[in-house]
Amino acid sequence: MKQTLTLLTGLLLIAMPATAEETTGLTEDMIKIGVMAPFSGNAASYSKAEIGLMAYYDKINDEGGVNGRKLVAVQEDTACDPAKGLAAAKKLIFQDEVFMLHGNSCSGVALAIRPVIEEAGLPWVIAHAASDSISDPLAANIFHGLPTGSANGRAMAQFVLSRPDTKRVAIIEHSNDWAHSYSDPARAYLKEQGIEPVADQTMERGQTDATAQILTLREAKPDFIIAALYEAETAIFLRDLKKYGMSDIPVMGTAGTDLENTLIRVGDLETVKNYFVIHSYIDSLNGDKLKPWGDMITKYYPDEQLSTFSFASLGSAVAVVEALKNAGRDLTRSGFIAEMEKIDNLDTGILSDPMTFTHDDHQGVKGSAVAGFVDGEPTVLRAWGERY
Amino acid sequence: MFLQLSISGLSQGAIYALVALSLTVVYRSTTIVNFGHGDFVMAGAFVSYVLTVMLGIAFLPAALLSVIALFLLGLCFSRGLIRPIRGGPHIGFALMCIAVGFVMRGIARIVWGREVLPMPSVFDMPPIFIGNLIITGDAVFIIGTTAVLLVIFFAVLALTDIGKMVQAVYQSQRGAQLIGINVDRFNDITWGVGAALGAVGGILIAPVSLLHPDIGASFLLKGFAAMTLGGFGSLHGAVIGALMLGVAEQYAGAYINSALIDITAYLVIVIVLLVRPHGLFGRKAVVKV
Repeated sequence: MKQTLTLLTGLLLIAMPATAEETTGLTEDMIKIGVMAPFSGNAASYSKAEIGLMAYYDKINDEGGVNGRKLVAVQEDTACDPAKGLAAAKKLIFQDEVFMLHGNSCSGVALAIRPVIEEAGLPWVIAHAASDSISDPLAANIFHGLPTGSANGRAMAQFVLSRPDTKRVAIIEHSNDWAHSYSDPARAYLKEQGIEPVADQTMERGQTDATAQILTLREAKPDFIIAALYEAETAIFLRDLKKYGMSDIPVMGTAGTDLENTLIRVGDLETVKNYFVIHSYIDSLNGDKLKPWGDMITKYYPDEQLSTFSFASLGSAVAVVEALKNAGRDLTRSGFIAEMEKIDNLDTGILSDPMTFTHDDHQGVKGSAVAGFVDGEPTVLRAWGERY
Repeated sequence: MFLQLSISGLSQGAIYALVALSLTVVYRSTTIVNFGHGDFVMAGAFVSYVLTVMLGIAFLPAALLSVIALFLLGLCFSRGLIRPIRGGPHIGFALMCIAVGFVMRGIARIVWGREVLPMPSVFDMPPIFIGNLIITGDAVFIIGTTAVLLVIFFAVLALTDIGKMVQAVYQSQRGAQLIGINVDRFNDITWGVGAALGAVGGILIAPVSLLHPDIGASFLLKGFAAMTLGGFGSLHGAVIGALMLGVAEQYAGAYINSALIDITAYLVIVIVLLVRPHGLFGRKAVVKV
């Protein structure tokens, strides 16, 4: 009888939804926040984004915290690997019992962990991964605190077509969700404008040579190339473009790369002079408007080398702190979610576009600027030849 | 386009050749497949990076020092970690190789973790244009260096007593011991040579691609595919298999679909194992019952 009862209890526990309690991860003086990022692996440089948001927590803590509570980041490494990401998410939710999740670079990981987090019900504010599918279809507890792939993809295609006489557009991309989250909306926008890509090429992660793709592109004679590639492959692609005498063709990259570090990686300005990237901020990396944010990060992480990724999560961090403040001292998860949904036209002081959430739309940022080299200097642009 | 793809494929294949050859060298003398070899390739590239970029040593002496360092690392690996587990289950060797590979990768991650590092171009000559054909300095450097190394390697094997010793150990370790060859020491040196050859591959590819702790993983797979195609245990088979793989990737990527580049190595392994399990130049396995 006792064994039967134990078995039934066990089955009941398994059958129950694995929802998190309303107030786990909260004490009188702290809020425990799970921060997932690829702290290792070949996409590890993206974890700079989460370093940025943790520096912002430190700043808020130094100013007294939020309603008397300090923000405590519990870090977990995803290595940009869905299996590791899933393990990290489960550990944070069920073992560390954090109040909420904030962060995560790598859309592939974010998509893999979404069902677990949606079921658990704790708030998750996405700080860096851009794929639309993470927050669409809508999940009550998941918020996208940066421009999503569709916003970025459209911005990429709009910028490409803002260049006079651009008719022939080619696309090169990875075959993963992250790349498609940029290229699919870009394709959709091009199609709306009556343009079909003249070439579609794939370059997988880890490839050290882009000759086959570039020779195919050369035959297609594009006016502009859209490249949804990670950092290392972007550098290899741009280097190989130059090798084969095609560096005069402009290339539009994603928010997954930045100008300054791409320049360092390829080694010379000539190779990147026609490279443009989605740049969701109000200023360039070394610009005056980003300087206070950069100073804040290096104050708390003195060894951190700043790149544009370092700022990627700060807009969402501002929104998180705003919602936590507004939720008051009697903080609950549902209270926090309700306050997130009240954020309207928030000027984060760092993102180029404002942030708005509603009950029916959790993708908060709808547009993005672009950055490119103008007279050898990284410059934020609204359109071809038009400064931000 | 065909010629351009061929040159690019040979350049990539040359790197694969060094990796496959170094795997084969170890496999022939010890029958151990070094599943951690990709990380020796990575380690060679990182040692070279430290010497050239961080310490400012010129490329050639830095490359030489890196190769020596990896030779010693391979030798110590054999002496300290492989010899003590001899006599145990064969899978123990594979697990040891994997474990040490991950330890090396972990160390690199601790030191350089979140950065993708650029390595200065070694052979920064302007490309040579022959009609539509473009021959880049990197391709010249990689193919040339690999060709010279392979000539030296095979000349040593064919023309010296060392080559006879290699052949003797490959045919029968017990027989080799009977004629006075110190097989243990020979195996240690073989591990050293394998690691050093892998390091050359890493040093050559680092300026072309970028450097990060996971760079070796894909080269390990390419090395396996080349070994499979050329025939397990065949030294010249490993080289020819690697060159064919490099070229096949380029042709498949350009003429069929660029997504095929990344899976060509897997396809090669599957097809060869099904159609010709001993590869192009390998020996058919004969089991006596």
